[in-house]
Amino acid sequence: MKPRTKEALVSARNLTKVYKTGKVETPALRGVDLEIRAGEFAAVVGPSGSGKTTLLNIIGALDSATSGDLTVLGRQVRTLSKRARADMRLLQLGFVFQAYNLIPVLTAQENVEFVLELQGAGDEKRMRAREVLDHLGLSELAGRRPAELSGGQQQRVAVARAVASFPRLVLADEPTANLDGENAEVLLRMMRELNEQKQITFIFSTHDPRVISHARRVVTLVDGRIVTDEET
Amino acid sequence: MIGRISGRYALRSLWRHPRRTILSMVGVGIGVAIGLIATSWMRGGTEMQIRAVSESGAGHLRVVPKGWTARRENTLRLPDAPAIDGAVRSIPAVELAAPRARVNALLAFGNRSAGVEIVGVDPEVEQRANRIVFKSRLAGRYLKPGDQNTVVVGRTLADRLRVDLDDDLYVTLSGPDGVRSAMLSIVGVLSTGARDLDAGICHVNLEVMEKISGYAGIGEISILLDDYRRIEETRRELGRQFAGLEVLSWKEVNPGIAANVEGDRGFMRALVAIIIVVVGLGIVSAQLTAVMERRREIAVLTALGMRARQVVGLVVIEAVSVALGGSVIALCIGGGVAHWLATRGVDIRALMGEEFGFGDVLLDPYIYGDFGSWIVFYALAVSVAATVAASLYPAWIASRVEPADALRT
Repeated sequence: MKPRTKEALVSARNLTKVYKTGKVETPALRGVDLEIRAGEFAAVVGPSGSGKTTLLNIIGALDSATSGDLTVLGRQVRTLSKRARADMRLLQLGFVFQAYNLIPVLTAQENVEFVLELQGAGDEKRMRAREVLDHLGLSELAGRRPAELSGGQQQRVAVARAVASFPRLVLADEPTANLDGENAEVLLRMMRELNEQKQITFIFSTHDPRVISHARRVVTLVDGRIVTDEET
Repeated sequence: MIGRISGRYALRSLWRHPRRTILSMVGVGIGVAIGLIATSWMRGGTEMQIRAVSESGAGHLRVVPKGWTARRENTLRLPDAPAIDGAVRSIPAVELAAPRARVNALLAFGNRSAGVEIVGVDPEVEQRANRIVFKSRLAGRYLKPGDQNTVVVGRTLADRLRVDLDDDLYVTLSGPDGVRSAMLSIVGVLSTGARDLDAGICHVNLEVMEKISGYAGIGEISILLDDYRRIEETRRELGRQFAGLEVLSWKEVNPGIAANVEGDRGFMRALVAIIIVVVGLGIVSAQLTAVMERRREIAVLTALGMRARQVVGLVVIEAVSVALGGSVIALCIGGGVAHWLATRGVDIRALMGEEFGFGDVLLDPYIYGDFGSWIVFYALAVSVAATVAASLYPAWIASRVEPADALRT
């Protein structure tokens, strides 16, 4: 393993998560230790139910750990208020979801602008959204609504939405799960370019071997535990 | 703060289910229209009742001598009445000021007699200020200035005494110096259509009143204003000018009608409130359904960093849009009916028969609703207030969506 000298964006120590349904307790994470440094392009892999989504949700301040310490972008997530978590997600994190989750009543451009508007961007948001879509080769799709886009196109717009404000960290939960091989390849190349050109750190979960080959670091989870953590 | 895209999102979300949105708007529109019609009816009815009381002798305001309220003694007279009368007429809101003097008397003709309150009036003013005079059928003529020993009586009173025009009535009353009597010649008989009311009508000139009763001066000045909504301000003004007198509103002069008006108002307000609550519950249900359907989408917005109050803002924008649509429908339905009520009125003779008296008040056989620019404000304010209030619970539910839970399901 190469020595890691860059700033740690994510630092998890003995992270656990237990879901409770009535009296039934289901552990999803069991003592996860993980450090993600700036500029990484890391894949969290593992079979279904291994805890990938839970780990990403906790890192993204969408969910809370049952125990353990988590520092994201220099802040102890456990101590943050609901509003501070929302601000962190809005201003410093980007999200790409498995099911695209674009807003169906907004056009591709408006979906991208929406996040910029929430951040308080003024009139420049339209231009910036356009730039991002252009940069990702999506300009001809700008005026279309999600229903008028293919799955691959929707996911590329979702990536555009996630990176429009140039967040430091993008979390992508199985971004290629609903895409065919060609579209998955296009998306992965796009994410990799953003990682290299804009220095955006990516953590994405997947169990697709084709996707794993693009990652520079692969963290393997099984039953909520990290079993391997390798740089490729 | 809700921006352009957020606003578009909220508005377009409404049209995902156009039928539901239109039905919600129609629900709000019909509910508010019913409220608007009820309010038009209530306002019009209230104004007409107040006008009826005021024009039947009570006045919007009445200036009486000190101690009148406590004693209700009709032989009390105003000190320096001409000065008071002049000052009252100089107030801009005063349309008419009718001086009157009253005394209790016994009228007799042959072996028949009837107790009555004789009212001394200024004939010229009375014919404009008193609807019992200007709205009644008159046999003969009304009083004229300078008439000597003439009287105008009501039809029921005339029938009881079996008298008619040109008959002479024997009047007995208690004056300041003992029992007094006089003869009065009937020059007119008034028929209001209300038998009880007609039984109490007995008008003479103020000069005749002074002469037969021995009480000099006038006992009250009944004031009609150009707008009943100016009662309180004029009352304060009169109170400042005449600290040694009592200034009463129509409510104090005629508490029975005042209670009736307040009762009607309370009932209508309760009815409107119930309708609006029912409509509001419908909106709560529709919006809650819309929020639950979009739970995952709201979770995405929250995941992207939308704050709880911004989520609330989105739901409220949708509610305001439904309210605006509803207010247009309310104005079309309610405004139309209110205009019809205001211009055509409702004939209440079917309910009341031919008797339009209530105590000593001559009511109108029609009730007209109120119609004016207030209906636009009403439709907007009630629609928006009810719908926004109804949206707060769905908005609160939306703001509490946990993104991880909602995205997992």
